[in-house]
Amino acid sequence: MNTNKIAIEVNHVSKNFRIYKDKSHTFKDWVLFRKRHNYVLNQVLNDVSFTVKKGQALGLIGHNGCGKSTTLKLLNKILYPDSGTIYMHGKISSLIELGAGFHPDMTGRENIYINATIFGLKKHEIDERLDDIIRFSELEEYIDSPVRTYSSGMYMRLAFSIAINVSADILLVDEILAVGDANFQKKCFDKMEEIKKAGTTIVIVSHSMDQIKSICDRVIWLDAGKIRRDGDAYQVCSDYLTAMDDMAQARMRMEESELFKTVIQDPNVQYPIKQITNQAGSSARRSGNMIARFQEISLRDAGGKPCRMFFYNEEANITFSIVSERKNLKGNVIFNIITKDGIWLASFESYLQYGYYLNLDHIWQGTMRLTHLPLAAGEYILEAVIRSPEGEDFDCLTHFIYFHVSAKYSFGSRPVAIENKWSLTKGDQL
Amino acid sequence: MKNIVEIYSYRDMIWSLVRRELRGKYEKSVLGFLWAFLGPLFQILIYSLVFTNIFHNNMPNFYIFLMSGILPWTFFSDSLGQGTGAIIYNAEMVKKIYFPREVLVISEVIAKLINMLLSFAVMAVFLVISGIGFSDQIVLLPIVVLIELILCLGASFFVSAITVYFRDLEYVIQVVLMAWIWATPIMYSLDDVTYPMKRILFLNPLTQVITCYHDILYFHRWTAPREYLIPLIEGIVILMIGYSVFNKIKKRFAEEL
Repeated sequence: MNTNKIAIEVNHVSKNFRIYKDKSHTFKDWVLFRKRHNYVLNQVLNDVSFTVKKGQALGLIGHNGCGKSTTLKLLNKILYPDSGTIYMHGKISSLIELGAGFHPDMTGRENIYINATIFGLKKHEIDERLDDIIRFSELEEYIDSPVRTYSSGMYMRLAFSIAINVSADILLVDEILAVGDANFQKKCFDKMEEIKKAGTTIVIVSHSMDQIKSICDRVIWLDAGKIRRDGDAYQVCSDYLTAMDDMAQARMRMEESELFKTVIQDPNVQYPIKQITNQAGSSARRSGNMIARFQEISLRDAGGKPCRMFFYNEEANITFSIVSERKNLKGNVIFNIITKDGIWLASFESYLQYGYYLNLDHIWQGTMRLTHLPLAAGEYILEAVIRSPEGEDFDCLTHFIYFHVSAKYSFGSRPVAIENKWSLTKGDQL
Repeated sequence: MKNIVEIYSYRDMIWSLVRRELRGKYEKSVLGFLWAFLGPLFQILIYSLVFTNIFHNNMPNFYIFLMSGILPWTFFSDSLGQGTGAIIYNAEMVKKIYFPREVLVISEVIAKLINMLLSFAVMAVFLVISGIGFSDQIVLLPIVVLIELILCLGASFFVSAITVYFRDLEYVIQVVLMAWIWATPIMYSLDDVTYPMKRILFLNPLTQVITCYHDILYFHRWTAPREYLIPLIEGIVILMIGYSVFNKIKKRFAEEL
């Protein structure tokens, strides 16, 4: 083990794709235009180098077209670099494409054999793993039916079970969590953890920061075919999200008029969400009569820096300011935290804090400090409302700011996480 | 050399693809696997009716003669004809999973080979019924099968790789095969061909291969070793050319598909 600690070496790799202007591979074209290149080169990777240690879990992030999937395909030897070298030390398995090579008319069991041999397994190795694969896929009853009778979920489950049970030294994963229901996804994650603990080197491409953070130790952020950041998973993900927020804001400025039309619904055209914060998610909605309204809201870390990623039990701050158009207006400022599935977790109201409604005669500037976030790892949504004493919404921001919580240890799949210590004593045997 | 070691390590994949090809193809049809023989069998029936009744061919047991040519021909024409699709019709796999791409071609050809061998088993029944039976020459059968296998592999490597770039090849090959069957002594005996034409036929590597099959299965006569050596050398050259072309462009398959 110690003699060869490097699992993946990528040295100065560049990759171009040919973009065909007219991709017709006909004989006529070949005869007539043999000498003419009817394609342009598109550089996807530009002099990328990195090494991955054995047992490390590396995440590749970046926005669409940054070259992360190409990198994964290069590691998997599906594509070959135009220049530079790649060394992979050990057996590779990929969760890149699931179910390629399945034959619809053959049974699940037969397809396990076919598919697993495509991953380079020997017949006796498959025999050993067959039970594990079937058990993991939860398809015991259907395993001898043709896969054409499977639902798409069953199909994916079978494919995933095969791929993840190919015990490889290096596992390459692309956007894994499109598989099955929440339970199966959890199972897949647990399996990934198990594989990681067993010392397998893992490379993951994902858009989901939660997935990346919960599995990876290290993250490489690719931007336009180059490595922009390389380091601790939490740090790089956090910087990436901040940069994405900045980019969203820059784009907003460029396309301001466009955004007025798309993001904001009447009658509040004059108050686009993006003016309040650059942290708002793309599905954010604003409603209310806008007599009183938020002018600025920002989710910040303990140090006051805008932030959408927190650790379990970390401090979080919400800063905001409010203006109103009428005298003698009273209102209640409310912040809600809900889960992505819409479960309402917590509500914080100025009325409950002070015992009276705020007089909205003034411009209010405030901070609400959450001393700690007892939330399990996952993505949560902050919503903000200004409401009249009568219950009329002045300004209501739903699906507003998405933020992430990461936890070093697992609290299971429930959102509320309270540190727990157990003590058990074993008595006499019954 | 490294390629060969790697392909060998994927031999289980070759077998499972062969099984998929053979089983998957006929899984849903009522007669199933029988179709693999019924196709050539009807072809032989039609040809023997036409050639004995219309062209008045007077070879005894002409259908055995036809069979011993058409079955190897089917192996070759299927390998070549369907070999064009070996890569492009498995695009999903090629684009998504790493494995030696040669496996697709090899398993395609092996599936066709097994088809032929099974057809030979059916043919053995006809050999007995017709009274022609078997002779000592049967020991040469594995050798000629091996030579044909080399030819088929070489041709399949070549066409499967080129088809990725030029899809038209798939149709060109169909046309070429249509002519090729007549440029090979299958419906007629080479003995009936006169000289300038005979020379042209000998440019076709399959001419000698089919002649060997005829001599072994129908005429029961020993063929000059030269007749084995020439197609063997041709086969090896075709395999070397076909494979080096395949090997050179296989790295771009995933991008081009």
